[in-house]
Amino acid sequence: MELLLEARGLWKRFGALEAVKGVSLALAPGEILAFLGKNGAGKTTTVKMLSSLLFPDEGEVRLLGQDPFKEPSSLRHLGAVLEGNRNVYWRLTPLENLVYFGVARGLSLGAARKRAQALLEEYGLLEKAWVEVRHLSRGMQQKLALLQALIHDPEVLLLDEPTLGLDVETALLMEAKVRELARRGKAILLTTHQLSVAEALAHRVAIIHRGEIVLEGEKEALLTRFAGEHYLLELEAPPPLEVLKRLRALGVEGEGPFLFRGDGEVLWKVLEALRPLPLKRVAKAEADLLEVFLKAVGHA
Amino acid sequence: MLDLFLAEFWRSLLFLRRYPLELLGAVVTLSLLFYLLFLGARFLAGPGAEFGGRLEAVLVGYLLWTFTLSAYNGLSFGLMEEAQTGTLEQVFLTPYGPIPLFLVRNLAGLLSQGLMVFLVALTLMTLTGARLAFAPGVVLPFLVVLLGGYGLGFAMASLALLYKRVGQLLGLSQFLLLFLLQAPGEGAFLLLPLAPGAALAREMLATGTPLEPLGLLLALLNSLAYFLLGLFLFRLAAKRARRLGLLHGY
Repeated sequence: MELLLEARGLWKRFGALEAVKGVSLALAPGEILAFLGKNGAGKTTTVKMLSSLLFPDEGEVRLLGQDPFKEPSSLRHLGAVLEGNRNVYWRLTPLENLVYFGVARGLSLGAARKRAQALLEEYGLLEKAWVEVRHLSRGMQQKLALLQALIHDPEVLLLDEPTLGLDVETALLMEAKVRELARRGKAILLTTHQLSVAEALAHRVAIIHRGEIVLEGEKEALLTRFAGEHYLLELEAPPPLEVLKRLRALGVEGEGPFLFRGDGEVLWKVLEALRPLPLKRVAKAEADLLEVFLKAVGHA
Repeated sequence: MLDLFLAEFWRSLLFLRRYPLELLGAVVTLSLLFYLLFLGARFLAGPGAEFGGRLEAVLVGYLLWTFTLSAYNGLSFGLMEEAQTGTLEQVFLTPYGPIPLFLVRNLAGLLSQGLMVFLVALTLMTLTGARLAFAPGVVLPFLVVLLGGYGLGFAMASLALLYKRVGQLLGLSQFLLLFLLQAPGEGAFLLLPLAPGAALAREMLATGTPLEPLGLLLALLNSLAYFLLGLFLFRLAAKRARRLGLLHGY
């Protein structure tokens, strides 16, 4: 499949600190890649290199096959919401911001105005189109930051903490919009500390730790891999002591629910040990992204 | 590029309309500064002092200084504000590249700067009784000086990009600018930025001499050289800022 964004072997040092060590990433159309890592792991440094705001010491970035450092015109294919930045002018209104950034990203004035109005309407900001940004709520400002990245309809989006500090309703709306953008074929790199957001949205996951990618793969495959052979068992009532002893002997941990780590064959022995107690639930345990993240970072 | 110019022009008009007090503050400060100097000079010269045509020449020199000053420090103040408010990185994400964008921004800002200088001129003409009626040819050395001013502005903006807090330096260098605009336009002074164009304009205003094409050409070459030097330094600074990650933060 054609790659819209590709980074190969990115290295960045700040003095003695090696902030990013040999990071390679790729994004295909319609794909959301969750780029996860602790604070200071190298996420933002990588995002800055991907967006050409920071020169890598080694490695290269290709945006639709072009080098954005040498060919700034390729930046018309990129939109970014940068964490910790306001991203828009607070002394201008949403409409003025979008028209300005639209033209600054290569649209004509007329096209920028048309697109700005369409976006403001789509994202429910039309009634605030003429209110200065500094008077808008945080959620609206964050939505506007996303629209600023979308104004020129770029193929690649870099979203650094797009839902940070938003109320539940706005965060859910943003999630839905990001999902829709991917459905329309945008390639999206999403960095976030909110693992539930990443889990809800991502098709693929890359985890960076101390400047290196320690885990990367399809989200579903990672969740399956990290779930392993774990089963959850719940009983209608606490088991008698002798049953509990048998369960412990078979390696069952916990209590309400019980957790069994082992293969399916031994599970039958566990179930045999429980007979004839009434069962409430037997299920294969599922890992979540938090577990995957903690294991990846813990083992790195 | 025309659309970018129109967008920048529109943006500068919006700021002007939305924040008229900023313009008013600049007009009052700059008018007051000259008027106080004017009153001081009249006091020293005594009650019967007549400035004659010199007042007009000094006033035009002052207006040239205010125009050049806004061309010189506009970009640096803009960059500092963008770094502080967190839009600088978004500006660097333009496919035009930062230098063309800032060039267009400078050009678009000429109108608001011109409006400020025009209002200062009107205020001072009312206060001092000076009458400015000069040959249209003076506009050419004015524009040449402005070009050099933009060159110095890009050089200073290189520092603003790398070090962000250069407000004090900008304040101090205003006096250097004043010196350059008052320096004689001959000998080694011809090599200093702004000096040849400013001297040419001064001479035309003080003695009424017609525009001297060779002098204008030399002044243009001087300003062009400093303009290109400014762009070169800014290009280096933008590269360094991208290498060291200095576009973010203040």
